[in-house]
Amino acid sequence: MIQYLTSVLTEGAIFGIMALGLNVIWGWSGDFDLAYYGYVAFGAYMTLVLTIGKPIPPAEYIIGLQLPYPLAVVGAVIAAALLGLVVGLIALRHLRGIYFSIVTLGAVYVLYVMAGQYVPLFDGFNGLAGLTDPMGDVLNLDYQTYQYFLLGLCLVLFLAVYALMSRVSSSRFGLALRSLREDERAAAAFGRDIYRMKLKAYVFGAAVAGFAGALFAAYLGAFNPSAWSPIETIVLYSAVLVGGRGNIRGVALGIFLMIVVIFESTRFLPEVPNHPGYVPAMREILIGLILVLFLRFRPQGLLPERRLIDRTELPT
Amino acid sequence: MHEVLLTLGFGLVTASILALSAVAFTLEYGVTNVANLSHGEILTGGAYAAFVVHRLTGSALVGALAAALAGGLIALGMHWLVVDRFVRRGTATLTVFIATLGMSFVIQNTLVIVFGAANVAYTIPQGAPQQIGPFLWTRTGLTVIVSALAITAVLYLIISHTKFGKALRAVSQNRDLAAVTGINTRAVAAATWFLAGLVAGYAGFVLAESVGTFNPYFGFSFFLITLTAAVAGGLGRAFSTMVGAVIVGIVLEFTGGYISASYELAFAFAILAVVILFRPRGLFVNARRTVFE
Amino acid sequence: MSTAAAEGPSALSVEGLAKHFGGVKAVDGCSFRAPKGRVTGLIGPNGAGKSTAIDLISGFKLPDRGRVVFGADEIQGLPPHRIARLGLIRTFQTPREWAGLSLLENVALARWDREREAFWRAIAGLTRAQRQVSIHELDRARAILVEFGLAHLRNERAGNLSGGQKRLLEFARIRMIQPALVILDEPMGGVNPVLGERMATAISSFIEAGTTVMVVEHNLAFIERVTDHVVVMAEGRVIAEGPFDTLRSNRSVIDAYLGEPSFDDAGA
Repeated sequence: MIQYLTSVLTEGAIFGIMALGLNVIWGWSGDFDLAYYGYVAFGAYMTLVLTIGKPIPPAEYIIGLQLPYPLAVVGAVIAAALLGLVVGLIALRHLRGIYFSIVTLGAVYVLYVMAGQYVPLFDGFNGLAGLTDPMGDVLNLDYQTYQYFLLGLCLVLFLAVYALMSRVSSSRFGLALRSLREDERAAAAFGRDIYRMKLKAYVFGAAVAGFAGALFAAYLGAFNPSAWSPIETIVLYSAVLVGGRGNIRGVALGIFLMIVVIFESTRFLPEVPNHPGYVPAMREILIGLILVLFLRFRPQGLLPERRLIDRTELPT
Repeated sequence: MHEVLLTLGFGLVTASILALSAVAFTLEYGVTNVANLSHGEILTGGAYAAFVVHRLTGSALVGALAAALAGGLIALGMHWLVVDRFVRRGTATLTVFIATLGMSFVIQNTLVIVFGAANVAYTIPQGAPQQIGPFLWTRTGLTVIVSALAITAVLYLIISHTKFGKALRAVSQNRDLAAVTGINTRAVAAATWFLAGLVAGYAGFVLAESVGTFNPYFGFSFFLITLTAAVAGGLGRAFSTMVGAVIVGIVLEFTGGYISASYELAFAFAILAVVILFRPRGLFVNARRTVFE
Repeated sequence: MSTAAAEGPSALSVEGLAKHFGGVKAVDGCSFRAPKGRVTGLIGPNGAGKSTAIDLISGFKLPDRGRVVFGADEIQGLPPHRIARLGLIRTFQTPREWAGLSLLENVALARWDREREAFWRAIAGLTRAQRQVSIHELDRARAILVEFGLAHLRNERAGNLSGGQKRLLEFARIRMIQPALVILDEPMGGVNPVLGERMATAISSFIEAGTTVMVVEHNLAFIERVTDHVVVMAEGRVIAEGPFDTLRSNRSVIDAYLGEPSFDDAGA
């Protein structure tokens, strides 16, 4: 039970960081980015190739360093941000709405196909493995203690990202970003360089995704194309939507609820003999339905975005 | 030269399927202004329906009809249960777009529950290759091309020569204006989605037949290529979409044949990115403009 | 006042501006100027090219050719945000409030501020001096909302306002910036006439604050009331320019308006 709870909470904290990053792009900037999970995956892959050392044939992959884990995390964040910059430079220049989404969907599929098919990159469908308990040896932790350590680390980092997002949310940059989401033309007419602002937000979001990916790699110890698919993004979108787009408290609540749904729903579903795909499929149906129903009946989420409330006494 | 013609021949088969799928997608888009991300699932539904009915009745023709009917019903269901409920309330198009992604998720996994996630082999005797003009086609390949041409002709007649087609065009151009002139826009949209579903369901059948195997996710992959064709042709304009489909279909067959089939999807998106960046309104429209125009 | 308007320096001058859409000449070699410190009206029948002209001036559309001189700068072809930063602010035919933000946020955010809005400032925080600027800015935004009678709604979502209130909010945002030039695109569109009084007052307060004003408007009574100088467009060109009174008897202006709500009724 304790083990189960530890893994649920660790995963929850990592997904929470992902959702907070997605909230920058979708919640504040207003762009429906389907490439988002690609940055998470890229961060995870980069963390692995920076830590697990040279490939042993027949395995093949790029780089192959043995850096300390924290350095690899920095590398992963930078790599994801750069990838986000490339995609953003192309997709945000002239495209909005569904065109933007279609191009980002294309970008993530290209990455997915490359990761799976182009073996010299990340060893194709075999993927990468061998990141066992990063920093565990330095700290001299046994297996069980290490799980608690990782949980603590992820929770602390989640809180740190949350605090950072709370700062950005109340900043003038955050407010201006929301004004782009509300009306781009008006924002441009009042002097905002839409392209640059959206690009900054996009790269920031991608960097946060890469960071979450680096933690995910530590948690899983390995990463391969069966660990993710472009559609994974939909879980994060559901979380942001359910909690409240643009409201970071809402996003945290949303990820908590979705993690509960994802993990706990499996307990109440009956097992179907000879049908191993049954439970995951039911879970995904549930996620899809939640997305559609919230969009239809409560698009602002459970905790709607908050406006500045001014309580100064004024003559009226 | 011979090999080029051979590839071109296969390309025309792919292009025909793509054209059917893309024109259906464009019809859906035209009347509701919704890019339907669950479009691929109509094709998947068609493939499963054809497979089941074909096995039960032993007739490929009945299977094909079942595929079309299943596709039509799925599309009608999508429109009635989800899309119309958003469009009616004037919800932002991006929101509906996201909702259709959720639907795609729901339908794919429903199929996983009913049929399992494994690949289903759907082999139909392809018939001996025949030399037709410069091309070499199997009987199946030929059926695909001929039926696609016939369906296109019927669609053309419906859209340009019937009262319903006139209403369809009116709704596509300006839904509010069409409503003011007394057109029942919701009924027209529903009927158009049903019609598009018939075409897409049939496309799912011929796709499954020519690939020889399918699974619950197969429509979604093909949808991504459909999207490329539809955008290349100019979203929302039925017949230029088909031209886009032919171009994309042939280009893909050549890259698949000469580079590698597994990169096909990535290559389709590379085409799409280039098209969207330089000709966001389709290959056939050009204008120097700012992001606001 | 009117006779003096044509002389003196220009806040904006447009020369030979053109934009074609396919074969349609939306704006076809249009030239006019807006005298500094005055209210210039831009009128013309539907389809005259007024809105396209504004889009070209403010950078929302790219001109095929022509020059736009604003103060000391040639601004044709610049992106909208660069033009806005130079001090040329425009409004739109339909009010474009930031619907999800509060009224106070809408007004406080009107002025672009490179330093305070920088991304790294969102992470590093503001300096003490910058925080002071923000506080003053909020005070000023409150005062302006009081002036426009919107103070009691300051915490409301801007999207919940009525059409007329949205227009006032737009005026409040302009008041906040005090730009060198403002172009108002049909400010009276969909607004009840009672508000006209308020808008006219606001326009004269803009002038007092040193802002040159251009108004595109169908409501000719309003044009006559607030403008010193009027530019008349038809079929993408300027067909007449001058004080409103002199245009009333201009033959080509009357021809252009045939079939439109009568030009002559306006002064009645």
